[in-house]
Amino acid sequence: MSDSGPNVTAIIVFIAFVSFSLFITWWAAKKTRSAGEFYTAGGKITGFQNGLALAGDFMSAATFLGLTGLVFVGGYDAMLFTVAITVSWAFILFAFADRMRNLGRYTFADVVAYRLEPNKLRVLAAAGTLTVAIPYLIAQMVGAGALIETLFNIPYLAAVIIVGTLMTVYVVFGGMLATTWVQVTKAVLLLGGGSALLVLVLSQFDFSLNTMFERVAVQHPRGTGIFLPGNLYSDPVSILSLGLAFICGTAGLPHVLMRFFTVPDAKQARRSIGYAVIIIGYFQAAVVIIGFGAIALLIGQPDYVDASGRIPGGSNMVSVYLSRLVGGEVFFGLIAAVAFATILAVVAGILLSASAAVAHDFYARVIRGGELTDDTEVRVSRWATLIIGATAIALSLMFRNVNVAVLSTIALAIAASVNFPAIFLTLYWSGLTTRGAVAGGVAGLVVVVVLIVLSPTVWVNVLGNRNAIFPYAYPTLFSVATAFAVTIVVSLTDNSERAKIDRAAYPAQLVTSETG
Amino acid sequence: MGTATELLDDPAFRRLLRQRNRWRWGLSGLLIGIYLVYGVLGVYLPEAYAAPLGNSSLPSGLVAGLSIILLTIVLSMIYVRIANRLESSEVLERDRQR
Repeated sequence: MSDSGPNVTAIIVFIAFVSFSLFITWWAAKKTRSAGEFYTAGGKITGFQNGLALAGDFMSAATFLGLTGLVFVGGYDAMLFTVAITVSWAFILFAFADRMRNLGRYTFADVVAYRLEPNKLRVLAAAGTLTVAIPYLIAQMVGAGALIETLFNIPYLAAVIIVGTLMTVYVVFGGMLATTWVQVTKAVLLLGGGSALLVLVLSQFDFSLNTMFERVAVQHPRGTGIFLPGNLYSDPVSILSLGLAFICGTAGLPHVLMRFFTVPDAKQARRSIGYAVIIIGYFQAAVVIIGFGAIALLIGQPDYVDASGRIPGGSNMVSVYLSRLVGGEVFFGLIAAVAFATILAVVAGILLSASAAVAHDFYARVIRGGELTDDTEVRVSRWATLIIGATAIALSLMFRNVNVAVLSTIALAIAASVNFPAIFLTLYWSGLTTRGAVAGGVAGLVVVVVLIVLSPTVWVNVLGNRNAIFPYAYPTLFSVATAFAVTIVVSLTDNSERAKIDRAAYPAQLVTSETG
Repeated sequence: MGTATELLDDPAFRRLLRQRNRWRWGLSGLLIGIYLVYGVLGVYLPEAYAAPLGNSSLPSGLVAGLSIILLTIVLSMIYVRIANRLESSEVLERDRQR
């Protein structure tokens, strides 16, 4: 595959993207002075721009490359992911968009600290952000390193350093404004590239889905068996758990939640997530069709799929190989470059949310009690970005062989079990108290980590035991339920003085959350 | 603080809250419910999901999934429209002028 030397189109498109993104960063740096500008671009992004950026935040290389691969391997079962993802964004729109926008300023911690004891909740939220952001960041960077190594013949070490350095430069100099526009650019590229691939795939079947699916059933060794549910998950608990992981987890991702604050008001917040639902839903549907197209076209091609049905370089390579088959070398280069740009933009967004947690929530609020100048806070954020960026590069180099799927599962499950219950209950349940929120968050975190270690992904695949103690891949059904139960029981039995303050402050919060 | 509790006693504001919550939980419950039923039903009716739809060669389960995605997009667009129209309701305009 890769002995043909570096792909010229890929290199040209990639250099163009990097140059343009550095130009954006230079332009954004001149406009980024205050903390508000650094964290949220001064709240001046429009609904449509933010919708594209939100979709960009979510459409990582994992959704484009990973999901196409998942359709190739699991057939129908991949549909469970795409539907869950689309529904989860609609849920964020209905339940979170307006209230979050009206209560928060820079981070989701602003919302959970609104009526509860601020310092405790900010420490919890900052911990919840870092325990999500760091594994997510490493998962993306390790995945990126491996992908770039295959696509461009660049060594892993160099690939990780390029990605890590660029993401750090975007955030340190350009803050949220640069991150948003890099994300918008990437979202447009990804949508364009994905749509072009979809059209090229369909053109192979004279634009008839009927013909394509007939071909799928002929080509696949299992025939129409690939359309049967159960190739990946065959019990209701796994399916419920997977659904909850996406529905609660996406609503607990700190870099996604931070985007609510980049728009001026609740109206624009709703509009931006509305656009995000449209873009993400469309893209998920496109990915499913591309994935089945890959089955119809790649199987039986010895260049791409070996005799045992395996893809050289792993199932992540499915859409990239497919692009070469239907579009030739130039199109292949374009898709490879888009995949690279996708990863770059996603890691920048995650890095910004992690440094906001450290600089704003932990340093400015908890350590300094808010007593510091705007200039100082921006300077601290930039240093925090630099340190977290460097740490992420170092960790990605050290853990090169880490299982990317495990890390992503952990990140999503922690977001669902720690961040989501606290945000949801503080917005909608007047009985929530500080003690309840902290106890529930800690309980959620402990249950997630324990269950993931005991699950097949770690207990069997990493530690090499024969049978998993906890049989399901996603712990969310149990960890989210535990977090909610502990939060509610502890809140109900909380007779402290603080609990009275927490409950009494709900009506005022309710009004602000609904009026802005 | 004074204005906050005042607004909660305002019947127009309470009506607005009820309206918003009806849409919020109605649509969330509907879509999450549909998704869970769709996902779990596949475990018990795998043959029906793999069976082609009508005269086509498209598997029914797949068409159903794509339809849920389409429904989600349409309901989200309707929600944004309705919720943003409520934003210019009289009681909120009055509150902003205060």
